[in-house]
Amino acid sequence: MAEEYYPWGGEFTTCSATGCVAVVLLNVDYTPPDDVAIYGPLKTENIGIEKIVANTISNPHIRFLVVCGEEIRGHRSGTSLIALHRNGIDQNHKIIEAPGAIPYIENLKDEAIVRFRAQLEVINLIGVREKQKIDIVIKDCIEKSLPSFGEPYIAIRIKPEAMMSLTDKRALHSRIIIDYMGKIKKRGD
Amino acid sequence: MFSFTHEQKVVEISGVHIGGQPGLYPTVLFGGIFFKGDPDFVDAKRHLQTLVELSKETGVPVIPDFFIRKESLVEDIIEFIEKTLPRHHPFSVDIIDPSVKIKTLEYLHEKKLLSRTIYNSIHIGTTKEEIETLRRHPPEAAIIVAFNPKDKSPDGKLEVLENGAHLAEKGLLTLAHEIGIKNILIDTAALAPGENSGAAIAAIPVVKEEYGLPTGCAIHNVVEKSIWLNEYPLAKKTVDVASNMDVPLFGGDYVIFGPIENMDLVIPLIAWQDILISEYAENYFGVSPTASHPRRKLQR
Repeated sequence: MAEEYYPWGGEFTTCSATGCVAVVLLNVDYTPPDDVAIYGPLKTENIGIEKIVANTISNPHIRFLVVCGEEIRGHRSGTSLIALHRNGIDQNHKIIEAPGAIPYIENLKDEAIVRFRAQLEVINLIGVREKQKIDIVIKDCIEKSLPSFGEPYIAIRIKPEAMMSLTDKRALHSRIIIDYMGKIKKRGD
Repeated sequence: MFSFTHEQKVVEISGVHIGGQPGLYPTVLFGGIFFKGDPDFVDAKRHLQTLVELSKETGVPVIPDFFIRKESLVEDIIEFIEKTLPRHHPFSVDIIDPSVKIKTLEYLHEKKLLSRTIYNSIHIGTTKEEIETLRRHPPEAAIIVAFNPKDKSPDGKLEVLENGAHLAEKGLLTLAHEIGIKNILIDTAALAPGENSGAAIAAIPVVKEEYGLPTGCAIHNVVEKSIWLNEYPLAKKTVDVASNMDVPLFGGDYVIFGPIENMDLVIPLIAWQDILISEYAENYFGVSPTASHPRRKLQR
């Protein structure tokens, strides 16, 4: 089942497939211990958060999300991630009470967010950068030995196989026409 | 290499022209300063001198893009701009935090520098307080970022510009007009690999034909986020610099090329590309370059 995990590639490092902790690194130079499941940086308050949700819920063994390091200025991505877990999203897909500039979840179904909120407990270590302190929190989570949450939830699947679905063979984009010499005009004009 | 049917607007910001039919004006470059760590003003002054010299030699206009990370840096950076940059040289301010944006606008107003300022940027996350401050102190120009987290295709980018895509109360173009921004630059929002990164380039001719507005993007961001390239450092640098060519080749008017340190490579590269485009644009479309164009400056 482990090959199903982490369908959305990114800048993360995987460790133990049955580990129960995922670590989100904000502005911090820290390497978690090998017995966590996965760790990696978070930068943006929209796509970055979506990737974390999709990847953590793909591995049902992950039950804790430790968010550590100094907050990302402007984006406020760590606090926005915690707001998603605490409050969910509104009808416009905006994370409720998120402080980030553009905190929208657009590429995940509502049920993926419900699953994220149910499967994971978020540990807020924003502002904490000391290795020793973070290590202790991770160790505490691991010692709780919570059971697996059940089946993996694959929220998004990046298709690896070659395929073609050419529904539009017009050059570049359906709104414009480009003639053989490079003259562009709006289609329909 | 293209020409557009829709009339193309050319904006002039403190003597620098951006926009128009490809081949008319040179591609305008934006080079980032103070993106990492605390500002090094000595280093920045040296870079600005090189920027002015290289720009003069090649004919490629280069606008310094000052990143202001926190409120405590606003006054120092603006005073540095006032003292160091040649008197009429335009500049842009790139800020993420809305409260820093507000303070910057107020201080630019106080220093009477707004007529040289390009505001980077207005987007769907622009706050009400920021909009109010922009109304009181409108900059000479603003970059409008067509980022639509719901739909990263060219259609999604147009949607954000036209109606806000249910992410903002109104379309960003309407918002910019209501604020009183005279000169609008569209940024097609280059995203990471896996996020339809190619759409930022494909959207350039679409946006220009749709609105006739000056259009560009920070395509180097895609390179920065191509983690696998870290295994090939020499290639990564080459790709980072070369990626900027995509923008003028697809009809774009300006490129935000990343760290100013790369200007030694990016400026001649874009001059070369502009000459290539200009030769075709003149031969087939009858668009002759302006007097300051690299094609007129670099005839060897």
